[in-house]
Amino acid sequence: MTGRIKLATYLCVSFVACGGFASAQQQLIGAPPEASNMRLVGANDLQARSAYQPTIHHQGDRWIAYIGHHGGTDAVPDPVNPLTGKAEPNGTSVVDVTDPANPRYLRHIPGQEGKYEGGGAQMVRVCDGKTLPKGDRNAVYMLRTFGNEAHEIWNVADPANPVLITRLGGLKDTHKSWWECDTGIAFLVSGAPDWRTRRMTQVYDLSDPAHPIKIRDFGLPGQEPGSTGAVPTEVHGPISTGPQGNRVYFGYGTDKGGLLQIVDRDKLISGPKEPTPDNLRYPEISRLAMSAFNGAHTTFPMLKMPIAEFARDKDGQARDIVMIVDEAILNECGEPRQMVWFADVTVESRPMMISSYTVPEASGSFCERGGRFGSHSSNESMAPVYYKKMAFIAFFNAGVRALDIRDPYHPAEVGYFIPSITASTDKRCVTVDGKDRCKVAIQTNNVETDDRGYIYIVDRANTGLHILELTGDARKAAGLP
Amino acid sequence: MRRLIAILIAALAFGALSGFAAYQKVRPQDGGIGDVNWREIAWPFPRDGWPAGRAFRCRAEACGEGIELYVRPKIGFCNCDSGVADDDEVDRVADLDMITQNFAPRAPGGVVRIADMSGRARAYDLDMSDGSHHAAVGIAVAHRCDLLVAVAQGRGTAAEVERAALAFLGAGDMKRWMTAALGGG
Repeated sequence: MTGRIKLATYLCVSFVACGGFASAQQQLIGAPPEASNMRLVGANDLQARSAYQPTIHHQGDRWIAYIGHHGGTDAVPDPVNPLTGKAEPNGTSVVDVTDPANPRYLRHIPGQEGKYEGGGAQMVRVCDGKTLPKGDRNAVYMLRTFGNEAHEIWNVADPANPVLITRLGGLKDTHKSWWECDTGIAFLVSGAPDWRTRRMTQVYDLSDPAHPIKIRDFGLPGQEPGSTGAVPTEVHGPISTGPQGNRVYFGYGTDKGGLLQIVDRDKLISGPKEPTPDNLRYPEISRLAMSAFNGAHTTFPMLKMPIAEFARDKDGQARDIVMIVDEAILNECGEPRQMVWFADVTVESRPMMISSYTVPEASGSFCERGGRFGSHSSNESMAPVYYKKMAFIAFFNAGVRALDIRDPYHPAEVGYFIPSITASTDKRCVTVDGKDRCKVAIQTNNVETDDRGYIYIVDRANTGLHILELTGDARKAAGLP
Repeated sequence: MRRLIAILIAALAFGALSGFAAYQKVRPQDGGIGDVNWREIAWPFPRDGWPAGRAFRCRAEACGEGIELYVRPKIGFCNCDSGVADDDEVDRVADLDMITQNFAPRAPGGVVRIADMSGRARAYDLDMSDGSHHAAVGIAVAHRCDLLVAVAQGRGTAAEVERAALAFLGAGDMKRWMTAALGGG
């Protein structure tokens, strides 16, 4: 073989091999899931509805998953509910996951008519009536958004036959709320008509869900009615540590201009309520401004974490950590990488980023697979089974990633699971030369865990719910038998 | 072997030219903006969450004193269903805060249509860091889930600034650039 022919052959083989590799990264119907140290236990297609927040609640001797949905798609605005035979706008799926290998779909509660983020009922939180100070002891209350225009509370004591209790309407852009089950205090993310930001926080006393009491409106100075000048980044969601911790961690921004705000909960609830700049600043302890490239979708506190490396230090052996998760919003890597950050907030006046995590793009050619690649959210359960040991991150087309966070200065991936696509998995498109170019890929949007250690992931591209468990080294790292 | 190297160099050059041509499709050369009164200048703001856009200055005789215009796409920043729904959205997105943090609307804004995209424009008073006062107009129009935002400012009246900005953005070459910048081909 002459030199020229050798070179030509090499170039041809390289070209074909590269092309073959790229196409191998495209998900195919019927192909097995991609996994490491995580195993599929059970699944449900959630009636092929685009899924957002799952909350898993231990209800008597049953485990019930409540799963919020975005609105429908252009192709199927209102999917048919096989249980009723009717087309219903996406809302909330209620699934009995007591036997995780055989989840049973119990009920679909329709949401607001509308497509994509313009409809549905994305968020869900659940509290027992016996835990809430003034609740009906026999009730189980589900707080959900109703599209963008309201918050609703349902009694789901009989999860197959939920009953609407309360509706807080007249809002816009309702989103990721937090509800303290032991006090009833709720931090409801909404857009109030007179505020200058799309989303702010309305603090409510929902200790008696049938009779909500508004406490105050809250946001960043510059967002309040009547202000002028630059408008700070909108809130995405708060997480409270309750009266014991007396802190609320607010995440602002989704994929840009992120901000972690640490707030004194007692001052927030009991302080002056008129939304003046001074009153809005009063409960704030500090802020951690992120790069303009990244947002703060989820701000998950893990306080007093013992750090093995610091065990023999005379001070600072335990640290207060907040895990900050950005949200990727553009398909096919159309923006700076959205990922996971760990902040040490032990010295609250000087919070500091200490580490970060992302999925290596090249490990799956994720920028070419289609849809979003990057983080979206983490599990928010504080049950002992995983709290301060393991975190699970929804990473869109890279599935769910299991992180060993026992040393938050050095988080390490110990497992992952990327579900198979199905005939229900919806396409995701980018515009190239004025035309849509579409691909089909998993879009793992949210993840939650239950007290038993099962991991629940849901798909934004209509593939449904997958229930997982850890195996191998990941299971050992979590301390599970 | 020399022939092979020449072929490889030619292939690389072809690739580079293709890339350059694609870039030019979105960004016409300086001076190719089809308006003799406006001149492209360097983007004057530090990097933020969005890629830099294009900046222009108008001749004082044509537009009024010191009028500059800054325009850029914001991909994935818009409500896909409602577009630019209200004046508050113009306050938030129109890049006025790059010029100064201290701006106040003069009056309610109005509906505009630029390059076949609908949105709103609103006039503002700017308090500049040197103590001077400028007039400005913020403009935001939407295409699907994306925005195109522009802000123009100057020492003239708000009406002068708005008239000059809307006329420039509505001209042929700028319309084509804006459409291409939002993936409209």
